[in-house]
Amino acid sequence: MIVFDLLGMLVAAYIVGFIYYGLYRNITARFQRRIGPTVFQSFFDSIKFFSKEDSISHGWMFYLGPVIMTTGAVMTLFFIPFFYQSEHFSGLSQYGNLFVVLYLMMLGPLGNAMGVGVSGSPFAAMGITRGLTRLFAMELPFYIAVIALMSINHSADIATIAANQTTINAFSYPLLFIAAMFSFVAMMGQSPFDVVGAPVEVYSGPAAEFSGKFLALLMSQSSIMSFAKLVLMVNLFLGGAEGFPELLGKTFVLFLFVIAFGAMYGRFKTPQSVDFLVKVPTAIAVVGLLLATLGGQ
Amino acid sequence: MKILTMIFPLLTVLAVFMIVGSQGAWQMDLGLFGLTDISVGLKASSLANFFAVLIAFSLLTVSFLSDKYKLSKTFYFLLYLLTWSLLLIVYASDYLLFFIGWEVMSITTYLLLSYTLSTKALIKFIVFAMASAMSLLAAIVILYSGAHSFLYVDAHQGYIALSESLKVIFIVLMLFALFVKIGVIGFHYWLVDSYSESHDYFTPFLSAILSKMAIYALIILLVYVVDIGTMPNSWIAYTLAVLGLLSSLIATFKAVNEDSMKRLLAYSSIAQLGYIVTVLSFADGMSGALYHSLIHTLVKLLLFINVAGIIYVTSRSKFSELGGLIYRMPQSFVMLLIGIIVLAGMPPLGGFASKYLIYNTLLEEGNLLILSAMMFASAAAFLYIYKLIYGIYLGHPTSKKLESVKEVPFAFLLPQYIISAVLVVLGTFPGIITPMLNSILTELNLKALPVDSAMVLSTQTGSYNGLVVIAGFVLVFIAVLLLLLSLSSKVREAKDRFDIAYCGEVPTEATHLHYGFSMGKELRRVGFIGTILKNSSSHLYEFFAKQLFSFAQIARKLYSGNLSMNFNIAAIFVLALLWWSLK
Repeated sequence: MIVFDLLGMLVAAYIVGFIYYGLYRNITARFQRRIGPTVFQSFFDSIKFFSKEDSISHGWMFYLGPVIMTTGAVMTLFFIPFFYQSEHFSGLSQYGNLFVVLYLMMLGPLGNAMGVGVSGSPFAAMGITRGLTRLFAMELPFYIAVIALMSINHSADIATIAANQTTINAFSYPLLFIAAMFSFVAMMGQSPFDVVGAPVEVYSGPAAEFSGKFLALLMSQSSIMSFAKLVLMVNLFLGGAEGFPELLGKTFVLFLFVIAFGAMYGRFKTPQSVDFLVKVPTAIAVVGLLLATLGGQ
Repeated sequence: MKILTMIFPLLTVLAVFMIVGSQGAWQMDLGLFGLTDISVGLKASSLANFFAVLIAFSLLTVSFLSDKYKLSKTFYFLLYLLTWSLLLIVYASDYLLFFIGWEVMSITTYLLLSYTLSTKALIKFIVFAMASAMSLLAAIVILYSGAHSFLYVDAHQGYIALSESLKVIFIVLMLFALFVKIGVIGFHYWLVDSYSESHDYFTPFLSAILSKMAIYALIILLVYVVDIGTMPNSWIAYTLAVLGLLSSLIATFKAVNEDSMKRLLAYSSIAQLGYIVTVLSFADGMSGALYHSLIHTLVKLLLFINVAGIIYVTSRSKFSELGGLIYRMPQSFVMLLIGIIVLAGMPPLGGFASKYLIYNTLLEEGNLLILSAMMFASAAAFLYIYKLIYGIYLGHPTSKKLESVKEVPFAFLLPQYIISAVLVVLGTFPGIITPMLNSILTELNLKALPVDSAMVLSTQTGSYNGLVVIAGFVLVFIAVLLLLLSLSSKVREAKDRFDIAYCGEVPTEATHLHYGFSMGKELRRVGFIGTILKNSSSHLYEFFAKQLFSFAQIARKLYSGNLSMNFNIAAIFVLALLWWSLK
């Protein structure tokens, strides 16, 4: 039954996502010579927020914003197969390819932008503008790298790309991988590209108005989405996975790298991050694309 | 009068359906009128039918608005004349009738625009329309010199018969004429003013269908004359790809910076047509170009009618004067939301189908850098798309008056409901028009798309199932919403619109809280976008205008209106004539 399969994917992503989020807080704390919270702290936080007594709403669209965002995250997850040659945990991936996933990834933030806009907080709307500005810049190197992979494999199917790697793509096409990693750091909302949700700077950005169960929903979708992005990256560049141990191992290595990267670098302003992303990683990606496609012929 | 305004569009729809059903063709030799060698014809080809249906649909949907505007009989007469000239353009099977239709189209558009346009904008329009028409005429004459026939069927032979330099001149003239009408960046000088100042009743029609005529003409040129299916021409392909991409990129960033709703949508039209021009640069892109033409026609009708409703109710047209209308006009908001989801090319609605087709064909073709740039442009488009909905419906109302407005009249909502329904159906069953596209593609001798069931859109590299995407989306959405509603925690409605998190301060009536009109301004600080925003093609045209004026100043010294000076000039002219004739 596909329904159980989908539920399985959702539960796995939810649990692993929250544990990773806890690890993120813990490991970042160690980088800063703090002890940090326990691994399950974010999970407790979310439970607490879900059962908060009081939260403010600004009408029906405010309700729908986080709902659309969560829907976008869950749908993205469903279209990414966990394993490249398994009947289970492949979700809906046979019904749509990588283009569908790339667009579904952006559906949630755009839907949430409506909820943020209706709240009427100018600081939240400013956060959205920053997010949308960073979005097109960070997608560019990623798109180029992904398009190169699709062209090399003559397929836009994620499982096919994952299965086709005798040496993993990160080693066969290092330039593409490096370019995509810059984008990936931005996609995970890590420094130096984290101005969108940066605390202090714009009063927490897009999430400024959300409290109580709305915030809890946003936290949950963020965990699910992070895991979906990690699985996508593993499928595209790290050779995919055959079972949960391999998947968890590979996603964790990737995740650890992102955290370490984020902990080391200071934050860019929005124009700076756009400028950087459309120059350095894009140039690397274009060179990588030319080498990969021209070299193959 | 009001009933009459619906009868004609309905008759047009009926006529188009009868023509579509007939598959007829008609050809006449003009030898009867002393014009030997010239024949003209009409033909109901699949391609022509496709565009004719779009024309009839556009006319019908805008006609619902006629209840709400007091327009003269002349206006309607001109609009219907325009519609029939468009039908003549698509059904003509030769360049002579095509050109007649093109001229009638330009002149009736000019007259329709003259109702509301400022003189400067009107002059811009007519100068560019005439330049386009004359260069089209010159190109047609050059083609005739090769083929000795105006018919499309002979056009390719005629093109082959031309010398190499004439071929280049022909293509340059033709592309100039069409680029002006499409509004490719650099040739769009007239477009933004005309769109934004035209009558609200006419703008949806103008944006949705008039620009598509140039796309149709471009398809005719590429397929019938140049025949890119069997003889790909690299420099035409590069021109189309580069100019199309530049249109998409530059117009996208220009749109973000606009304060007027209609100007923003005008730039969005330029950007969207840029995608179509780009994919027409290679033969297999035809399916994507046709699909995107359909989607763009529908979505621009929807968005311009929505904006027309806002202007009708509030009599304001700028983001800086609007805001916070969502709970006062929820139906309009939902319609615009559907519109922007389609414009952004997001699943699960119809806009994604055309983007999917375009991306997959570009991938098959191996045009990887073009594909990357195009996806980049369409991601950047989210900025102006968000500005459109935020500036009108979200944020805060910018004045007290906006807090008492009501929902737009039903006459504005009805066409929007119809178009949205079509877009939802296209999102659910993206493959529903594959058979129609295939009949056009086979007629044009191009590779057909793989046929699958109606809910699957197939390409050579992959397929996606619209029904699964939309059903999954709706089910997950309902589940999450139920989860959120079932939680026991209380939700308090905000006291008033100032009840927001505002850095510990309490905003008042005097605080500027609507972020709409400054949205996108900060993009100036990004290097390459700042360059795009600072420069404009108007500098170039103003430079030419200045040169022309200084030339005119010299000419004016000779032709001063002084009688003795005129006599001198006439005398010199006559003497020169005498000398030349005696030589």
